[in-house]
Amino acid sequence: MKINYRQLSIITFMSFIALKFLALPSLLYLESKNMSMFVSLALMIIDGLYVFVILDLMKKSGEKNIYEFMKNCLGTMLTKIILILLILKYALVVGNISKGLEFFVVENLYSEYSWFVFVLPLMILIGFMVYKGVRNIARVSEMVCWAIVIGLIYIALKALSGIDLLSFLPFFKDGVQPLFNSAYIHLSWFGSATFLFMLFGFVDFRSEKKSKMIKYVIFAILIVQLLYFVFYGLFEITSPTHNYCISDISQFSSTYSAINELSWLVVSMWIVAQAVQLALYSYCLAQALKFLFDIKGNILPIIIVILYLFMWSFIGENTVRMERIFFSSFASIVTLIAQYILPIILEIVYAIKNKTKRNKYKIERVKDERKEKNRDKKEIEVNI
Amino acid sequence: MKVDAVKTLNEIKRKLHDSGDVKSRTVQFFGTQISLCYIAPITDNELLNNTLIYPLINFSDEIKGKDIVDILYDKVLANQEVTIFTDLQSAVDKMLAGNTLILVDCAEKILGCDIEKITVRAVAEPPTSVVIKGPREGFTESLKYNLALIRKRVKSDDFVVKMLELGKMTKTQIAVVYYDSIADKEVVKDVLKRLNSIKIDGVIDSHYLVSYLQRNKNSLFKQVGDTEKPDILVGKMLEGRIGIIVDGSPIVLTLPFILLEDLQNSDDYYTQPIRVTFVRALRLVGVILAVLLPGVYIALELYHYKILPTEFLITIMNSTQGIPFSPFIEILFVILLFEILYEANIRMPQYFGMAMSIVGALILGETAVNAGLVSPPAVMIVALSGITFYIIPGQASQFSILRLLGVVIGATLGIYGILLFCVFILSYLSNFDSYKSAYLAPTAPYIEEDQKDSYMRKTIDEMKKRPRSISNNKENNNRR
Repeated sequence: MKINYRQLSIITFMSFIALKFLALPSLLYLESKNMSMFVSLALMIIDGLYVFVILDLMKKSGEKNIYEFMKNCLGTMLTKIILILLILKYALVVGNISKGLEFFVVENLYSEYSWFVFVLPLMILIGFMVYKGVRNIARVSEMVCWAIVIGLIYIALKALSGIDLLSFLPFFKDGVQPLFNSAYIHLSWFGSATFLFMLFGFVDFRSEKKSKMIKYVIFAILIVQLLYFVFYGLFEITSPTHNYCISDISQFSSTYSAINELSWLVVSMWIVAQAVQLALYSYCLAQALKFLFDIKGNILPIIIVILYLFMWSFIGENTVRMERIFFSSFASIVTLIAQYILPIILEIVYAIKNKTKRNKYKIERVKDERKEKNRDKKEIEVNI
Repeated sequence: MKVDAVKTLNEIKRKLHDSGDVKSRTVQFFGTQISLCYIAPITDNELLNNTLIYPLINFSDEIKGKDIVDILYDKVLANQEVTIFTDLQSAVDKMLAGNTLILVDCAEKILGCDIEKITVRAVAEPPTSVVIKGPREGFTESLKYNLALIRKRVKSDDFVVKMLELGKMTKTQIAVVYYDSIADKEVVKDVLKRLNSIKIDGVIDSHYLVSYLQRNKNSLFKQVGDTEKPDILVGKMLEGRIGIIVDGSPIVLTLPFILLEDLQNSDDYYTQPIRVTFVRALRLVGVILAVLLPGVYIALELYHYKILPTEFLITIMNSTQGIPFSPFIEILFVILLFEILYEANIRMPQYFGMAMSIVGALILGETAVNAGLVSPPAVMIVALSGITFYIIPGQASQFSILRLLGVVIGATLGIYGILLFCVFILSYLSNFDSYKSAYLAPTAPYIEEDQKDSYMRKTIDEMKKRPRSISNNKENNNRR
């Protein structure tokens, strides 16, 4: 059940835009003000570079899954610790997407209804997609990707005329320090390449075209930047009060009206994107749980993930604010290790292990050659 | 086996429970008694007289010392398709398929002569695949004629026909047809294995085989393709598919099947590519409207009326004012009415058709609206959705169920539910791999080369390769 390189590129694209159009732009503005776009741009570029680092590891792992690969490189104990970190990362993303979806749905589409009505079909869908595996998620992403992209571009372009370019000036008024602070605090909203760890052994590299992945990553970065440009241009200093970027752009843009607007249907496409992203990270979470506890079948980890998803429905808005604070501290460390440090460590350990192996092989070969020479000498002496 | 012209004849009649249509004739051939046994309704009487009885009576060559059976085989029936049987059961089986048995007294073999009377309707344009341009020939209920229609188009030694017999009671002839160098050998093997393992008392129509050939038995979605036209079948075989022809059925099954096939039409290949691309886009929109329109309408009316532009909202509100039912019941009522009218219409004698349309569309629809039972938008929405079903007739029954599901989901969960429903369907279909071919190919997985004949169509000369969406012999992928 492998996925091809194009499908991998598309789910990478989906992962890159996941979480970006919810509360992130308003949170970024708190520290980095009108330079927030630079923070997201820089972090997304770094994420993009890490995609290729992890892909390189993936190729080196061959048919091995991440657990086997890490066990070979780092040993069982360290592997389990790293898996716990990855589980935390995936769990945070799943929680964040599900909460984002909840607010998007309840606040924008069903203000009089409880989320509990809507979470059950979502659980069924996610459970089904995760059960069917990554190929299923990849194929669905392939089909819905362009509809989502068209929807996003439509929203951005329609609101483009309402933005004030002067609001971006002056550049770097408070220096670059706030940008670094903002980048670290909100690191957990990035790390979009971490999902790749759970795809080790599931990608068919025969059709590999690096340019394809580069195009999709650049495209994702451009779309996010376009939406952020529109968002900050529209809301300027009021940006921190707009917690749902995608719906707020449509709702408060001067070219839209709050009601009687058919473009809400386009905005609704975002639900599809969220569902697919949720399925992707739920799959990663289930896989990581499976590896950590050495669970044989797929059902048990899926049930755990689905129940976890359901659990988020009980978390109210205040708790979510707390969770965001939590996100800004603990989660940043998790992301820092899981995405930015782990691949480098794995690359180094793999290189050292390979070098040692190669040296061992060389030494053994030299020994064998010597032995053969000695044997030949003895044979000659015996013959004489 | 020792044949006794009279005793064996009686044994055959006894075997067939003295059926009234089993007839026999006895002639003397150089002093030896010969009985001819046949089933009258399926035997060509004229051929029987001219090619069997007349030559037997008038044969005057020297036969000194020769075996009568050999003389019959070599000389009297030299122009006929003759089979030699050494056991009675296989001879009777063949007789039931239209052979006339020749029972020569004291011989050790029975001869069977194929003079079957083929009762078949004329080759005509099938009502389900009417074309404006292109061939109008359609398959009939005769396997022989159907094979002839294919052979007429296929003059290659690469074309293979594998004959099977299925059905304990009906002993129906099945032909599996494909191009040896194009079809995927594994798929051919798999199809033949599945067909050979079928245990059934009768195969009345090709659709009897469908459930044996499809992987997901209880699925709503079609997994085996079908066609009533030889040109379509040959086109599909040239892409690597396999055809299954069943004697007695004008519908030929094709495998592997992908969803896109139903979006294509034989007309498409005889029309300008730009027009085809436009029409295919229309069909796709039609599918979306057919399945989702009533559900989306209910969702908008019940939950998201704020989304609608003001003028549109006012029009709908004016139209729905005073309707005693909720939008859900209203739409459900109109859908039910539509489905009943549809069922009645297709089974009703043709001369009632026009009256039915008038009663259904004008009187029932108009009266229901005037009486204030249903609103005009509800009628319009269901009618539009109903009409768009038949843009893709092959999937109409599935769409009808999906539409009902869409209505229920739209009424309970609104737009959110409809969107999740769409993702669920896509996810469900993504797993449907039929005989090594992905059901949603070439969209998911995306196959660039096959886009030349997917939602758009390029000219025939640009389609240099066979589609990769269908499992075929990849080494013989070039159409040139």
